[in-house]
Amino acid sequence: MTDINVRGPFRCGRGDAPVGATRPTLIKYMLTHIDKFIEKAKVADAEVELFPSVQRAVQFLKDFLSKNEIKGAIISEALKKRDPFDKEFSSLSGQLSADSIWVDAGIVSADYGIAETGTLIHFDASDEEKNVWTLPETCLCLLEKKKIVPHLEAIAPEIASHLARTDISSPQVSLVTGPSRTADIECQLTIGVHGPARLVILLIGT
Amino acid sequence: MKKINPVLKKILQDFSQSYQFKRQSVLRGYDFEELRTALAELKDKALDHNENLLARFEHKARAHGSIVWRARDGAEANDLILKICRDHSIQRMVKGKSMVSEETGLNGFLAGRGIEARETDLGEWIVQLAAEAPTHMVMPAIHLTRHDVAVLFSEKTGKQVPEDIPSLVRIARSEMRKEIFAAQAGLTGANALIAENGAIMLITNEGNGRLVTTVPPVHIVLASIEKVLPAVDDALLVLKLLPRNATGQTITSYVSFIAGPHQGPQYIILLDNHRSDMLADPTFREVLRCIKCSACLNVCPVYQIIGGEEYSHIYMGGIGTLFTAWIHGLKKSKELARVCLRCHRCEEYCATKIKIADLITALAERIKNETGTAMWKRFAFDGVMASPGIQQAAFKAARKARKVIGRKDGFSRKLPAWMKKYDRFRALPAPAAKPFSRAFKKEFAPLVAAEKSAKRTVTIFGGCLIEHFYPEIGMAAARVLSKLGYDVKVGPSLCCGFPASNAGFGKASGEAFAALLKKLKAEGPVITLCPTCMTMLARRGPEVVDSEKARDLASRAIPFSRFIFENELGNLTRLMKSGRQKQKATYHDSCHHKNLWKAEGDSRKLVELALQSEILDMDEPDKCCGFAGSFSLDNPEISAALLADKLAAIEKTGAEVVAMDCPGCLLQIRGGCHRSGLRVRAAHTAELLERSIRGQV
Repeated sequence: MTDINVRGPFRCGRGDAPVGATRPTLIKYMLTHIDKFIEKAKVADAEVELFPSVQRAVQFLKDFLSKNEIKGAIISEALKKRDPFDKEFSSLSGQLSADSIWVDAGIVSADYGIAETGTLIHFDASDEEKNVWTLPETCLCLLEKKKIVPHLEAIAPEIASHLARTDISSPQVSLVTGPSRTADIECQLTIGVHGPARLVILLIGT
Repeated sequence: MKKINPVLKKILQDFSQSYQFKRQSVLRGYDFEELRTALAELKDKALDHNENLLARFEHKARAHGSIVWRARDGAEANDLILKICRDHSIQRMVKGKSMVSEETGLNGFLAGRGIEARETDLGEWIVQLAAEAPTHMVMPAIHLTRHDVAVLFSEKTGKQVPEDIPSLVRIARSEMRKEIFAAQAGLTGANALIAENGAIMLITNEGNGRLVTTVPPVHIVLASIEKVLPAVDDALLVLKLLPRNATGQTITSYVSFIAGPHQGPQYIILLDNHRSDMLADPTFREVLRCIKCSACLNVCPVYQIIGGEEYSHIYMGGIGTLFTAWIHGLKKSKELARVCLRCHRCEEYCATKIKIADLITALAERIKNETGTAMWKRFAFDGVMASPGIQQAAFKAARKARKVIGRKDGFSRKLPAWMKKYDRFRALPAPAAKPFSRAFKKEFAPLVAAEKSAKRTVTIFGGCLIEHFYPEIGMAAARVLSKLGYDVKVGPSLCCGFPASNAGFGKASGEAFAALLKKLKAEGPVITLCPTCMTMLARRGPEVVDSEKARDLASRAIPFSRFIFENELGNLTRLMKSGRQKQKATYHDSCHHKNLWKAEGDSRKLVELALQSEILDMDEPDKCCGFAGSFSLDNPEISAALLADKLAAIEKTGAEVVAMDCPGCLLQIRGGCHRSGLRVRAAHTAELLERSIRGQV
């Protein structure tokens, strides 16, 4: 209905680069978006860690869990099916149990990152997936650098088509920007009121 | 009379200032005007097709497996929710933030039937624990301190609770989490209903929206019908503006789009509650554009003084008054409509360009016609102002009384003790010995013949305050224009009809304006010295009198400062005497002058020129001084509080002169300086220009 800042579908990471731009130009645009994403995510109180490969990120996760003596960690079902998470985190549950109410850490992955606001997007099929993001004290989220797009409007068509899906029971799209926050007591910003108090973004790619 | 809590006032004013700062910084790089125009147009189109979109939404949501019902009114919605509770044996329900459920009184309704409904938004949860009413739409517990909250939490947990905010939030987290896991149903509102796919959009910062929709087995959505939008793109536009305008955030922590039920049933109740009536009303339908960002509230000068408990029925502030009138009835909105300043400040911030102040005026007229109004207003507007003859006689009688009520310094004697609330915070001016029109004739009539070579004719319209109380402002303007070579004429000494219109006396206002039109021979531009007269001449006049002459007058009317700035800046600079003394000045933005006529920039430059110094900006120069015509008679305690803040802001600048462009503000601020002993000269821009030409300042 409106065309304000709606620039139609973008290929991931291509950003605002002109049509027919050369490879170096495209890379420059991509880098700008990545920098912006990191800056904005930090403004929203998220922590950002950079890794050249998935393996290095997995190592970080394992260290994180052992260093912080985290026992009650959960992992998203979808992620657990993927290599190398199926092997490395086979002991972690993807199913929420009655104990999930006080879970310490959750490992998830995002489908997109939005540079404009430092937002993570996940297209998830289930409430359980969503809870892995929301219930733990710390949320650890993997995101590939190439999945960072300049702004939300860039993936609007994808959001629309996902929500229109009838092959899954409840199509959902979630946007998460920084940890859970409130300013309800004396207007003072405080994190971790309902959702995680820490959001660590593991940015993967070279 | 409205209660003023000084602690709450301080909290709300500090919040407003930090809000404005944050909002400005997140809107940097965006064209707010362009965005909100797009959103307003989008909402208008969606409202035009409301029924079709709702039908489409229902169809699509049902295809996903949602159960969708319509509720005509609050009672019907509550009954439907009760039915769901009974069907699913729900004893405990948790709620995300839902203004609509407050509108229907859901919590109380369910409590009376043995079902516990617990809020999960931290502010709402605290307020519910305290058994109090929310004071802000987005920040419901803004009136409570950490100490108050600690006391509440100690009672709730039975343990001594520390008074630091992070610990309090931890405790709330754990208590609320237990409640969410113990609940059999979660209820939320919706920030948008998306017709193309039957999805809802939910925006929260805390994450309670996510937990309430995913943890309990049953999800209930209670949303009002105006929330429906055609497509995802449209919801994204709401998302772009809502957090930025509401709290100065680029985006909230959590945004969820949910289409259909997942683990248990999802019920969607679409509530009308008189919104269809509103939709059918061409004047008031734009109220339904509201996206509940509460920006209007954040900058409302009155809200900052009295808070949300005083300034609400359920919905708060000016926009709340409009919703209340339709949803809870005209009577409930009567008291609320009276406390609106009509300063139009909210309109500068509204995300969907709702003309809140104008609509309150239209509402005031309906309230007056259907529920009656104060005797003194009927006397003043229907009796006196509507008839030119009686109007003149009344002012003549006031002039006659001058010897008794006036003092040498130009102010009136104090009013008797039973009326002291009207003048102890500001001295009222005494009527002038000679009205402006007569003073003008005496000085200018002999000149006219001699200066037939004048380049252009202009007509000054002074308005009542200048005519009867401040003729010196009119004379100053006339002298400046005459010095610049204009043949100056003066309009008739009649009321323009604005005060009557503002008080809801549309008919009396129309009669007064028609009488003015009949007598006014507009030659050349019509120069106004009062921004509210300007509003009547250029904006409201053609609405109350539909004639060619009214439209002609509207096109000729121009504020004095703008006329001089746009046409005579060079000549004026040449006329100004050199060697005059520099003075430190600050400038007060009169509401209509800034918010409607955007002429404050012109005035500031002229004042800087006249006083040869840069304006020292006061805190929130565009915040109303509290005069606002009959507002200060209806609400003297709020008027006094606003004036006290204004005087403090002026004093803080250290200026010797405070300039302004409205004789109403001048009455308030000059009178306030006099009473409080603040040694700052309050002057109209025209006076300062004239003095600079004469070599005085």
